[in-house]
Amino acid sequence: MGLTDLMSMAKPNLKSREKILAKLGGRELVNCFQCIKCTSGCTALKLLELKPHEIMKLVNLGFVDELASSDIIWTCVTCLKCLQRCPQKASPYHVMIALRNLTVEREAKVPEAFMKAVSQILETGLAEAYQKVTTRKMEACDREGLKLPKISAPKESFQAAFLKALEER
Amino acid sequence: MTRIGVYVCHCGLNIAGVVDVEKVADYAKGLPDVVVARHYSYMCSERGQRMIQDDINAHKLDRIIIATCSPRMHEETFRKAVAEAGLNPYLVEIVNLREHVSWPHVHEPEKATEKAKTLVRMGVARAKLLEPLEKRKVSVEKDVLVVGGGIAGIQASLDLANAGFKVYLVEKAPSIGGRMAQLDKTFPTLDCSACILTPKMVDAAKHPNVTLLTNSEVADVKGFVGNYEVTVAKKPRYVDETKCVGCELCVSVCPVKVPDKFNENLTQTRAICVYSSHAVPKVAMINPNHCLRLRTKKKEVCGKCLQVCETKAIDFEQKPQKIKLKVGGVVVAVGSDVFDASEMAEFGYGRFKNVISNIEFERISDASGPTGGKIVSPQSGQAPKVIVFIQCVGSRDKRFHEYCCRVGCMVTLKQAVLAREKLGDDMAVYVCYIDLRSFGKGYEEFYGRARDLDVNFVAGVPSEIHGAPDGSLYFDVFDKGTNKLLEIRADLVVLANGLVPSADIARINELFHASRSADGFLLEAHPKLRPLESSTAGIFLAGACQAPKDIPDTVAQASGAAAKLVDLLSSGEIELEPLKAVVDEDLCSGCRICESVCPFLAIEMKSKKTDGEEKLRAEVIEEMCQGCGACSSACPTGAVQMKHYTEKQVLVQVQAACAEAEDKGGS
Repeated sequence: MGLTDLMSMAKPNLKSREKILAKLGGRELVNCFQCIKCTSGCTALKLLELKPHEIMKLVNLGFVDELASSDIIWTCVTCLKCLQRCPQKASPYHVMIALRNLTVEREAKVPEAFMKAVSQILETGLAEAYQKVTTRKMEACDREGLKLPKISAPKESFQAAFLKALEER
Repeated sequence: MTRIGVYVCHCGLNIAGVVDVEKVADYAKGLPDVVVARHYSYMCSERGQRMIQDDINAHKLDRIIIATCSPRMHEETFRKAVAEAGLNPYLVEIVNLREHVSWPHVHEPEKATEKAKTLVRMGVARAKLLEPLEKRKVSVEKDVLVVGGGIAGIQASLDLANAGFKVYLVEKAPSIGGRMAQLDKTFPTLDCSACILTPKMVDAAKHPNVTLLTNSEVADVKGFVGNYEVTVAKKPRYVDETKCVGCELCVSVCPVKVPDKFNENLTQTRAICVYSSHAVPKVAMINPNHCLRLRTKKKEVCGKCLQVCETKAIDFEQKPQKIKLKVGGVVVAVGSDVFDASEMAEFGYGRFKNVISNIEFERISDASGPTGGKIVSPQSGQAPKVIVFIQCVGSRDKRFHEYCCRVGCMVTLKQAVLAREKLGDDMAVYVCYIDLRSFGKGYEEFYGRARDLDVNFVAGVPSEIHGAPDGSLYFDVFDKGTNKLLEIRADLVVLANGLVPSADIARINELFHASRSADGFLLEAHPKLRPLESSTAGIFLAGACQAPKDIPDTVAQASGAAAKLVDLLSSGEIELEPLKAVVDEDLCSGCRICESVCPFLAIEMKSKKTDGEEKLRAEVIEEMCQGCGACSSACPTGAVQMKHYTEKQVLVQVQAACAEAEDKGGS
């Protein structure tokens, strides 16, 4: 009975779809009428192969598990153009984040860069590690060389709060 | 002792599919004073009505309760049926088992049946206290008012005038014609808009039964159905309409340039101008915001128009006029506005000269427009090599307007065909769409014609438009058909802007008490069965003020509204519902609260002699009272009672609702 994806023989999983809807806290996703505006403007489409309108349709049909285990949801660069311009206020961006959270919950594989970013924040409190800069005379300088103050490691209370926020998500 | 008949309707499965109608009828049989209780598949059918009539005669019934759909649907039907059997029609009580029970409680049939029983019990309790009432008859004015001189207003006026009614046609602009006058060709037949509209404009102006009031607005409305008193404010033209011949000599000498509204501000006209080349009446008008003499209020300033005018028509002394009219009914046909795409930053309307709206395209394509009908890119003035149309701008968009504009698709198809026909094969036309809707008669065939003419359809809309330094535009669009991201470079982008409620709609709503729907347009009395009437009796709706509409639908609705008005006024008198307020003078303390809450100004305070003392007492003006009940609920002494909804009749229902179900009918 019902729908089958003949390319992969996958069946929809409506429970997973409900989970995504619960994470979104609204049913705007269901209103998507495939105007393709999100994909037309998608920054990641030009770099990678992210087609937000396909993700919207797949989630709507219930093919959530395939998406949650695919690399594609991690390619969104969160520029928020789709969120701004969606005529149905359906926000592919929020769907993408909900799919990522579902993946983390299932303890499936998360791309290394994301794990790195988490440990980076935990250790230094910074989303980007500070790097050496090269001057016009081609000398490599670090903060010390430029006489900038040292960046101290974050307080323990920060780490606790950060981990708690992650858990809650 | 009353003898009550209760009739439970199945409404097919609409009610019986949820509510156990047999149980409800059985329950009703046990209620006090109920003589007959039956259930039947369709009470509103001929057989159902006859069943009630037969019972009235056989069982000497004097109260009838019908548990069926909403009274808005069939109360009138059942009142007529019992009247035929000799019973006063106001002794019928409708209990709503469909909208109030079976539809909202579709998933809980047992509770629904219990609720149905309670509602029937309440109906029985109330029915005992119903009093026979007679409809009121009032005479009506035979003149009518049409507000708005677009194609809807013109059509309604002509139909009413031909039916023998005297019509006052009020138009805000200096000329009638409205939005249709701005269009080039019309879909799906491509007849020229002016060719089919102008003769109608002239007919309306020349018709002996039509009084044209252009440059005028309705300022005040008083009264009620059949007897409205309307004040129209006529703004000064500063040109005598009876003398001006429309030669436009004055326009050629006027030194002040003003954006031309008729041409969507694409060109300039002068401070004195004739509204458009086929304006009716073809009379000049001075724009007081721009005319040098009117702005400075000095007699020695300018006056060039005065010197050249051969008929001495120019009159700087004209004053605003108030015209009082007595009319029996009104057709509201104030039309709609076009969505302003500058609200939508991503398409760059207003920022890029070569991004234009569909109504601007009409003016550019029109032979009487700013380019003489040559389609050009505004920036270069050259014929475009690539034109792109973008659909659903401002409509089907929850950020702006959620509804479909109903004309955007066909307007674009027509403009795409016009572009191809005028510019030849050496150019490309693309249409970026979400869904293409060509639903009307001959519309799908027209869509085929556009495809025949090599109009390219891209299933997808762009996210944003970029401008190149040379004025050309480029954007990415993902096409569902090819699954490819396409880049389109164009020298003209036309936005299919939707229709939005007119800027005046709030004022119209206030003046005529005509309600608005959630989308901002005027609300019809019933979405299917009363599409031509507003929520206020005697006020009818025509055209795009009720919802976005194309020309065929607008004309159909206008003729329909006119026919409705003829139907209302033709007999010279109308029947009013007897549901009105009455004042018990002994209880009235003269506090004037009712006077202050009455929205229809139907309460008058009169001083009366009681026990040799002069006292102020409220009095209801019957013709004005619409039976809303505001006065009755506000009255602190209970002196004002609503006929058919007296305090007792309402309270007994509340008591019956609170009584236990086993109690069979309560107190």
